[in-house]
Amino acid sequence: MQHTLTITTSNEASVVERLLQVTRYRGYQLAGLELTPLTDRAGMQITLKVKSDKPITLLTNQLAKLYDVQQLALASADVAVLRA
Amino acid sequence: MNGAELVLKVLQQQGVDTIFGYPGGAIMPIYDAIYHSTVKHYLCRHEQGGAFSAIGYARASGKVGVCLATSGPGATNLITSLADALLDSVPLVAITGQVSQAVMGSDAFQEVDVLGLSLSVTKHSFMVRNVNDLAATLQEAFRLAQSGRPGPVLVDIPKDIQLAPAVEPEWPEYPAPRIATSLANAAKARQLIADAKKPIAYIGGGVQMADALAQLQTFLAESAMPSVTTLKGMGSVARANPHYLGMLGMHGTQAANLAVQQCDLLICLGARFDDRVTGNLAKFAPDAKVIHVDIDPAEINKVRFADCAFIGDMKQILPAISAPTQCEDWLAHCLQLKQQYGWRYDHPGERIYAPLMLKQLSDRMPDNSVVCCDVGQHQMWVAQHMRFNSPRNHLSSGGLGTMGFGLPAAIGAKLARPQDTVIAVSGDGSFMMNVQELGTIKRFRLPVKIVIVDNQRLGMVKQWQQLFFNERYSETDLSDNPDFVALAAAFAIPGHTITRKDEVESALDAMFTWPGPYLLHVRIDEKDNVWPLVPPGAANEDMLTETN
Repeated sequence: MQHTLTITTSNEASVVERLLQVTRYRGYQLAGLELTPLTDRAGMQITLKVKSDKPITLLTNQLAKLYDVQQLALASADVAVLRA
Repeated sequence: MNGAELVLKVLQQQGVDTIFGYPGGAIMPIYDAIYHSTVKHYLCRHEQGGAFSAIGYARASGKVGVCLATSGPGATNLITSLADALLDSVPLVAITGQVSQAVMGSDAFQEVDVLGLSLSVTKHSFMVRNVNDLAATLQEAFRLAQSGRPGPVLVDIPKDIQLAPAVEPEWPEYPAPRIATSLANAAKARQLIADAKKPIAYIGGGVQMADALAQLQTFLAESAMPSVTTLKGMGSVARANPHYLGMLGMHGTQAANLAVQQCDLLICLGARFDDRVTGNLAKFAPDAKVIHVDIDPAEINKVRFADCAFIGDMKQILPAISAPTQCEDWLAHCLQLKQQYGWRYDHPGERIYAPLMLKQLSDRMPDNSVVCCDVGQHQMWVAQHMRFNSPRNHLSSGGLGTMGFGLPAAIGAKLARPQDTVIAVSGDGSFMMNVQELGTIKRFRLPVKIVIVDNQRLGMVKQWQQLFFNERYSETDLSDNPDFVALAAAFAIPGHTITRKDEVESALDAMFTWPGPYLLHVRIDEKDNVWPLVPPGAANEDMLTETN
């Protein structure tokens, strides 16, 4: 199943590799990645698409506690599935 | 003042008076600052040993451990220790020197991407790019190492930053951290406990780390339920508690494993359903509802679904969920299990039986002694046959299972608690993994007691080869071990070898009576194995014992 995560992070140089490392280690396959520097403050908005048969919360819980992650949201369709 | 001197200022400002490390080119400015500093540096003989000493210091004291290493090989030698600290949630700050920014990325001498290498074995890793960020970054590293679920934090500091002119900053007053805790599920938890016929508390290292041991004793007394602990939770339950059943899991007690398998409510406190605890997960505590309390939200529902979960401060949560139980029959049943499956020490023959020797060690060691283990059969025998009155007194590499942990951890523990006896219990395989730290013991005249349980084998691997690999003993024979007593003597550490049961008590007395460091070499029968054992893939009630 594919999920889309929208993540606001700090602008540290290691942010992206850290996100990808956790994604790989926890057993999720990368299906898409988009980076947008935030103009109004030092940070980035990252859209991460991942595939896995595992519950997506096992990944979001790990990503949310990373030091450089400021906000993390699942696309609304994914949230609806989680609540179903 | 330069950046290096500012590093020492920050350490002092954080209350650090003891650090461990090894110098080298890219961290020489910091070592130059150490030369005149009041912060005491302990020179280890390998960076891994230095970091394990910092971990031992942290685990025995509750403070943050600090270790230093240079760039390249110095930093890569820290990786195992960082992983150990991550898996056992130990607050550790590792400071590494890095080559100057002008040559970074050019494969300079002793340059390696430490930031990248360390990311997956730390809670977070920083690189300082501007001397004006140095103090704040180090302060943040200390805050992060201790906050929430503790863990290791690495700060990589290029040499030019260490040499750059620096200004002492204003030291901000940090308010005491507040741990967000929701008690919204408290009534539900109390109802689950009140309704349970066969509840049991499963206690991990998180209770001690939350400084909630007093709340735990009250909770166990008010609810009158039996309890089991993980390897890291050992020492959490007061010795006087009759309903404590011991360690659960692969080498847990039969009483603990059987009770957990039979329970109808499992209250998991600061533990994480590790595979060495659960055995076959699908068959673990199959009839139990679960209450899970942890400070790390990522542990909830990670391995086992929780019917009722709490994230936050154990100190607040335990009183809020406490409820009386009506389970006299269950308590009586658990006591009967404990009696039925109690340890037996009537081992035949004259040779030393390690479980009995360790029980004798436990009975003879002074109160509040710290025991540091290595990894393997001796580690499990220590967990089974020694008793502790605090998790700070039992330092064992739990999550990573790192051979070579024990001796340097004992050095750190002794420096943290010089008033207490510190004993490193090691195996003949593990001891050789960081044997160079005997040099640290010699240099600082540290009265650490070392007990080597020697079966001339990599015993735990050999046991598995015997049971599950048709006795093909591939590369586990260590019968060409060095003369351990002579080895200790080379570091001016006296020692003695014993081989017979009737020598044990007098040898232990001699070790404790000797005022300085001492090595007791205990030869045991290589045929002795660790029992019980839950075989791979089996449920925890299907334990192998010596007789089946």
